[in-house]
This record gives sequence, structure tokens and C-alpha cells, in this order.
Amino acid sequence: MNKKLVSAVLCGTMILGSVSPVFAGTADGMKIALVAKSAGNAFFEIAADAFEETVTAEGGTVEKVYPEAATADAQIKALDNLISQDFDAICISANDVNALQAKLEEAMDEGIKVSCFDSAPNKDSRQVFVNQAGTVAVGQALMDAVLDIAGGEGQWAILSATSQAANQNAWIDAMKKIMEEDEKYSKLELVEVAYGDDEPQKSTDQTAALLEKYPDLKVICAPTTVGIAAAAKYLQDNESACKLTGLGLPSEMIEYTGADDAHSCPYFYLWDMVGLGNLSAYSTIALISGDITGALDETFTAGDMGEYTITEADDGGTEIVLGLPLQFNSDNIEEMAKLY
Amino acid sequence: MAGKSGRSINNVPEAPIKKMILSWEGILVVLFVLVNIFCAVFSEFYNLKSLLRQMPIYLAEVFLMLPMAYILVLGEIDISVGSIVCLSATMSCIVCNTGAPFIVVVLTGLVVGTLCGLVNGFILTRFEELPPMIVTLATQIIFRGIAEIVLGSGGSISATNTDGFRLLGGKVGSVPYILFLVVILSVVFAVVLGKSTFGRRVYAIGTNRLTAYYSGIHVQKIRLIIYTVMGTMAGLCSLFLVSTSYGANTTTGNGFEMDAIAMAVFGGISSTGGKGNLAGGIISAFIIVCLRVGLGQKNVHAQVILLILGVLLIAAVALPNIIGQIKRVVKK
Repeated sequence: MNKKLVSAVLCGTMILGSVSPVFAGTADGMKIALVAKSAGNAFFEIAADAFEETVTAEGGTVEKVYPEAATADAQIKALDNLISQDFDAICISANDVNALQAKLEEAMDEGIKVSCFDSAPNKDSRQVFVNQAGTVAVGQALMDAVLDIAGGEGQWAILSATSQAANQNAWIDAMKKIMEEDEKYSKLELVEVAYGDDEPQKSTDQTAALLEKYPDLKVICAPTTVGIAAAAKYLQDNESACKLTGLGLPSEMIEYTGADDAHSCPYFYLWDMVGLGNLSAYSTIALISGDITGALDETFTAGDMGEYTITEADDGGTEIVLGLPLQFNSDNIEEMAKLY
Repeated sequence: MAGKSGRSINNVPEAPIKKMILSWEGILVVLFVLVNIFCAVFSEFYNLKSLLRQMPIYLAEVFLMLPMAYILVLGEIDISVGSIVCLSATMSCIVCNTGAPFIVVVLTGLVVGTLCGLVNGFILTRFEELPPMIVTLATQIIFRGIAEIVLGSGGSISATNTDGFRLLGGKVGSVPYILFLVVILSVVFAVVLGKSTFGRRVYAIGTNRLTAYYSGIHVQKIRLIIYTVMGTMAGLCSLFLVSTSYGANTTTGNGFEMDAIAMAVFGGISSTGGKGNLAGGIISAFIIVCLRVGLGQKNVHAQVILLILGVLLIAAVALPNIIGQIKRVVKK
């Protein structure tokens, strides 16, 4: 009897669920192309799936397009294909900052709206960029984590990717600036910025070198997923007193995350990829429907995510900032590791 | 495949029309028509206008296919051309950003390409026993390496003054300039290979290098010229490539050498040397371009398109063999 009732209720909700979007869609009939950097990036897929879910729920359709290689040339070919079709908008994660400008301008000339997320092309190539987390917000979160884990004072070091990586350097510069400007960080001493080149072995070697050079090192901050995973393993295997934080993937960090001495990383950060996909979808829909044009200070409602304002990006263009990075700790890591 | 390239020893002449249809080029023309019909039915966006709009980036690779055909006819291979494209593109962007007139930018691209080709040719003719595959593999790494050092690791450069490149990427009506240039150069390369003494000598070297040498052909001189021209054409390709992206990066031209080789081999030019002609290569280039545009417009996965091209390529290489075997069985 009970089972019958449950199934009846379920059937009812399913019917309602399949009917209601027809009435409620803000994206009715919209065709959006989502261009990835390349095929086979699980991290990107989380955002892409969220993007598709949101647009579909609003009554639109999404075509996910994967270029044949992770190059700007391949994305140009993909864009060529899309411009020939009848899409309302293209949302892209760019493989190169400047190389896509000619094609994206062509798309905009054809009346196709251009938004981007994850990785932005230059300001002339887009109408709006959905930024996972502002540079300063990431720097602030990491700085506070270092301060907290170090217990307010002591030596710390940064383990970065390559010395030329634009995003890495932006975060490191932001951290240095925050550290200089606020008195509460004055007892922290940044001893070195090491570069592991995003290779596991080199990152491990750099971690070992840091510990040898600075025996009193309290915290290593690795704002790179490869670096943090390598350092976490090394520190934990060697039962080092030095602790770790930074930006990492929950699935790679699950073994090393915990507040006790047995784990090397108390907590770390990363953006909310599901949220990024959802917000990108709402922003793109708003562009198509004309609610926003991508100009500074415009506001729009991103479904149940609330109100967002378009702000100025570091490159002089405009962006919509998703918010603060997500903290991963022993409470939520198991849940999150299933996602990414 | 008797009758191909007119070099058969068969002394009973076939009827010209039958010969034309049965030749590989004839089959390719039929295939070209079929591919276009298929694409037009498959994609509602496939028409002359969209084809012309999407063509330029693929046509740049045809510049590489033309001299590559010569190299394949020689029985050799050059896998460094993608890297030459990268280096020429990088250098011409750098020169462009110094504010130099556009003609200097164009010359830079061509000269850098030519020099790279000359390096290949010089090594290969100076040490003639070295296998071209290995030498050009090495220069592939070297040329891209130089570009990467100039760009900084993972880096890219954009042309600050895009006027010249915009002009290069321009159109007459809806026909891009590059199409005219491709047609003109295709005719020139095809005539030189098919009708001139130089072309005859290339076939002679590809068929038997030693015999050619003892017949008084300057084998090394011809090889040097061909590899150098290959470089120049890579430079030309890079200029048109920059005109689609107004910049260069470390992945520019990645894999172009294989696309060029695929176009040529699909066109019936044997990689073992001495066989095939450019008409086949040019038709097959356009088949590949049309197929990629048509499938791409329906958002068929890029990887699936590559897979289809791969299957076609194997079929193209295997077909002459299969036909030969069937003929033998029938004769028995």
C-alpha cells in the first residue's frame, strides 16, 4: 500500500516536473553552444553539465562542442562551424587570450552573443566573463588559511606551477600585497616561492628541498592542483610537522585532508564548478534575452542564485564574479570528492 | 593501378575516357561530388557561402600539401613543417609588433620559413644517408623549441597592428584571397611536377635514386631545392594562419604536417616514392575540407571527424592493393 502511494506521488511529481518548464522557461527556444578547451577534461565537464542542466530547465538547448585539440587553431575551426549555424549565443573557455579575437568578433557581428567562463579571451573578444573567483578573493582566502594554520606566526613558502603561469602569478602577487597591507600578517615570513612546473615529481622534489632548507617551515601554500597533491603526499609520508593548504581537487586530496596530525592538509580551497556552470548559463541567457549587454554595473537575477552585478575585470573588460572559493575540509571532502 | 601518372609500360593504349574514370583521380572527382551531396543533405547550413567562409584555415594547409607531394614523390617525408609554421608565425608577429611595414612582415614569414627549409635540405643533402624522417623529427623539435624560447614557455604573441593581416585574410565578394592563391599555386606546382623536366627528374629520383644519379640527374641539388621550397610554403601558410588569429602561440601549426601528408596520400601520392600526381592531391584536399566543414556544421564530435578521415585514409591506401588482388583472382 505504502509503495503504491510513494510511486503515485513520484509519478505525479515526474509529470509536473516535465510539464512545468514549458511554462516557466526564461530560455525558451534559445540555442547555446558551449565550447570546451578540449575533450576529456573531467573538471570542465562538471561545469558543462551544470550549464546544460540550467539551460535545459529554462527551456533552451545546449550543444557542447569539443575542438579536435587543445589549441587555439582548433577552437577557431569550431567557432567557424558555429557561426555558420543559427546559435543565439556562444559560451567559450578559451585556449588562448588573443588568438580567438577575430573569430569571436565575427560571431558578435553576426548577432551571436559571446560569453565565456573558466578561461577568458581578451576584453574585445567577449561580452562578459564569468569568473570563478576574483584574484583578490583567492589571495585573501589563501592568506587567511596560512595565517590560521601557522598559528599567527612563522615561516611559510609557496609551491607554484611554472614561473610564467599568469593565474599563479596573479594569486601570488595578490597574497604578497595582502600580507604587506595588513598588520595581522606581519609575523608571517614568506621564505621562498618554489616552482614545481605542475609535474608531480618536480613538485615533490621542490617540497623536499623546501623542508631541508627551512627546517622551521610551518606552512606550504600550493595554489596548483598538481603541486598540492604532490606536497600532501610527501608531507604525510614523512610525517612532517609542516602543514599544507592551497588550491586542489577534492578527489586527489581526500587521503590527506583532516584536522589531526595524521593528515598533512587541514583544509584547502577550490571554486565551485557546479555554481560556475549554473551562473554562466544564467548570464548567457540574460545576454540573449537582452537583460544585460555586458556593460559595467548592470545587474540581473541568476535564477535561484540571486542577484549579480557586472564588475570590472583585471584586464579592463567586464566580468561576473561567482563568489568566494569553496573550502574543503574533513567535513565535506568525502561528499565533494565524488563530484571532482 | 596501371595508367596512373602515365608511367605504365603497358603498350596497349586504353580508351581515354575509360582510363580517366578508372584512374584514382577519376574516383576522387566522383567522391568529391558525393561528399558535397552528402554534406548538403546532412547539414542545412552547408552551402557555398558557408563553405567559402569556413575554408581559409583549412586552405592554409594546402600550401603545405603542394611541396609535400614532391617530397613524397621523392620517397621521403618532412614532418618538421608544422614547427616551421609555428616559428615563421612567431617571427612575423614579432616583426609586425616592431611597427615594420607589412611587406617586411610578409618577407620575414617567408624568409624564416625558407631558412628552416634550407636547414632541413642542407642536413639531408650533406649527410645523404640520414633518414629524412629522423632528421625532420629533430628539426621539428628544434624549430618549435626556438619558437617556445622566443615566446616563453606556454606563451603566445598577438600582432598589435592587425591591418596587414586583416588585408591578407580579406575577400573579393565572398571568395577569400587565399582561395585564388591556392588555385594559382596548385596549377603551378601541378604543371611543374607533371609536365616539366624538373618534375620528371623528381619521379626518376623517387623511383630509383641510384639510377637517377647515374643518369646524370643532380639528385642532391633537386632535394635541396624541394626542401627549401617546402620551408617557403610553410612560411606562406603561417602568414595566412596568423591572418585568422592575429597571433601565434606554441601550438600554432601543431599536426599540420600530418594533415598535409594525409591530403597527399589520400590523393594517390605514394609515400614510397615515384607514384601519384598533384591533381589527386588537390582534389583530395578539397574533399577533406568539404567533409570537415559539412560534418563540423552538424556538430559531429571533432574526434569522430578525425576518425572518419582516418578510415578514409586507410581505405585510400588499401584500395589499390585490394583492386590489384581482385584483378589477379579474376585473371586466374
